[in-house]
Amino acid sequence: MAKPVEKSENNQIDKLAEAPLEFVKEGSQFLNKCKKPDTKEYVKIVRAVGIGFVSVGVIGYAIKLIHIPIRYLIV
Amino acid sequence: MAGFRLIDVVKPFLPLLPEVEIPYEKVPFDDKIVYTIIAALIYIFGQVPLAGVSKDESTVKDPIYFLRGVFAAEPKTLMEFGIFPLICSGLIMQLSAALRLIKVNFKLQHDRELFQSLTKMFALLQYFVLTNIFIVSGYYGENLTIVQIGLLNVQLVGAGLVAILLSEIIDKGFGFASGNMTIETVVIATNLVSDTLGIAQIKVDEEGNTEARGSLINLFQGLRSSNKTFLGGIISSFNRDYLPNLNTTFVVLAIGAAICYLQCLRVELPIRSTKARGLNNVYPIRLLHTGALPVVFGYVLLTIIHLIAFVLIQCIARNDPSSIICKIFGHYESVNNLLYAPTFPLSLLTPPRSFANGLLSQPLTFVVFSAFMLFNAIWFASKWQAISGSSARDLAVQFKEQGITLVGHREQSVARELGKVVPVASTTGAAILTVASVGGEFLGLKGKAAAMVIGVTSAFSLLEIISVDYQQSGGQSALAQVLGAPGRF
Repeated sequence: MAKPVEKSENNQIDKLAEAPLEFVKEGSQFLNKCKKPDTKEYVKIVRAVGIGFVSVGVIGYAIKLIHIPIRYLIV
Repeated sequence: MAGFRLIDVVKPFLPLLPEVEIPYEKVPFDDKIVYTIIAALIYIFGQVPLAGVSKDESTVKDPIYFLRGVFAAEPKTLMEFGIFPLICSGLIMQLSAALRLIKVNFKLQHDRELFQSLTKMFALLQYFVLTNIFIVSGYYGENLTIVQIGLLNVQLVGAGLVAILLSEIIDKGFGFASGNMTIETVVIATNLVSDTLGIAQIKVDEEGNTEARGSLINLFQGLRSSNKTFLGGIISSFNRDYLPNLNTTFVVLAIGAAICYLQCLRVELPIRSTKARGLNNVYPIRLLHTGALPVVFGYVLLTIIHLIAFVLIQCIARNDPSSIICKIFGHYESVNNLLYAPTFPLSLLTPPRSFANGLLSQPLTFVVFSAFMLFNAIWFASKWQAISGSSARDLAVQFKEQGITLVGHREQSVARELGKVVPVASTTGAAILTVASVGGEFLGLKGKAAAMVIGVTSAFSLLEIISVDYQQSGGQSALAQVLGAPGRF
């Protein structure tokens, strides 16, 4: 069966318009294939990241607190 | 080699540039933790107010307020520009080396050293240029004396050099992973804590009433405060716009939780050993294959655009709405006497200060800003996944070294199979992360949304590297024993 021959110009414009669509399609296909974490795994990860984040933040903030008297002295 | 190469430019400066030596032997796990934390804490300690700033209130306000969170920058402190020059020069240099804009032979150690020094030089140069842009613009006050200008230059460029070296300490194997990432994570975590639990009292009105910086602390204070009603205290703690409020805190936390979920998403490819029969396993390809770098890259470009605009509008046209430059690029309007909000057309690339405000006064921003960020992130992700050490081809080489292959494929076709998955994963991940950060920005988080996206993603990979290192060191860590940590994270 002979394929209908398209004009190359039209083809390119079509391609340009299709690029985002193609991207979304591929992306959602990928997302569907993805393994989603179950609740237990998710909670574990949130806890690990959360504890790490907050503890580092508290240490950092303790250092920042030292700045308050320094600011009073300098400014 | 014939011809001029950009990396040879640094040769005469090599003896002048301080450099961190690579450790002679492998640094023990405990030492690495200490180095990492101390380096980041020194950085935070560097947020000391600048000396030599004019005492009078300057009319020039902060033009890049919404970019500061991402680059760990604190206005009017030694870390005025944060690690923006470091990240910017690192990304641009590596990208241009990979796209063959600069010629580097990474197989030669000499070339690698030169390239590294060039990146450092470029970062230092940016600190110098940025400092002087801000001085000329009048940000530190008009009519500065020569001494003040010199003092500001020494402070800001010096602090920049310290930041570069701190990051290099971590990079060179004294710490975990990349220095920029570590510093950024620690600073973003600190900002989150200080925005939620900060107890510093800040004057909020003419009568000298103060409110706490932290949103949660402010809620409790508002309940007992004498100058507010009970209900008024609660309402104001949720929607005050001059300091962090509870709404932004919740949005930021929600973004953090969402990023944690995205981090877990992965496609598991079945693999088997080529050496032994019956050893089947899975190899995960993450959705966030390139991590937060695409978002960072978007913000680097955004910052460059805003800095160029700042130079044109403030340093050349002096923010005069009638001048021709301001008619083309827009001008700045000072908001709350704190921030510099650009007008149309520059406002198209500035996230709104609040959702309602954005909808009313700059509706086009929603389209242009997200399109700009999305396009950059996807372009960067598609390039970066090919040049970083984790492209499909690199993974295939790793597979071969470890004697594993994908189930149902011959060893030769592994690279092609991975090539179908890795680019899609990187670009999709980049797009989703960008949507998360841009969506947060539109709610008026002033850079905190993007900072949180980057912070959590980096924290996650940091945690991963640390736990792998911990297991490799056989769990022999005095620190872990003191803290009573179990065998694994």
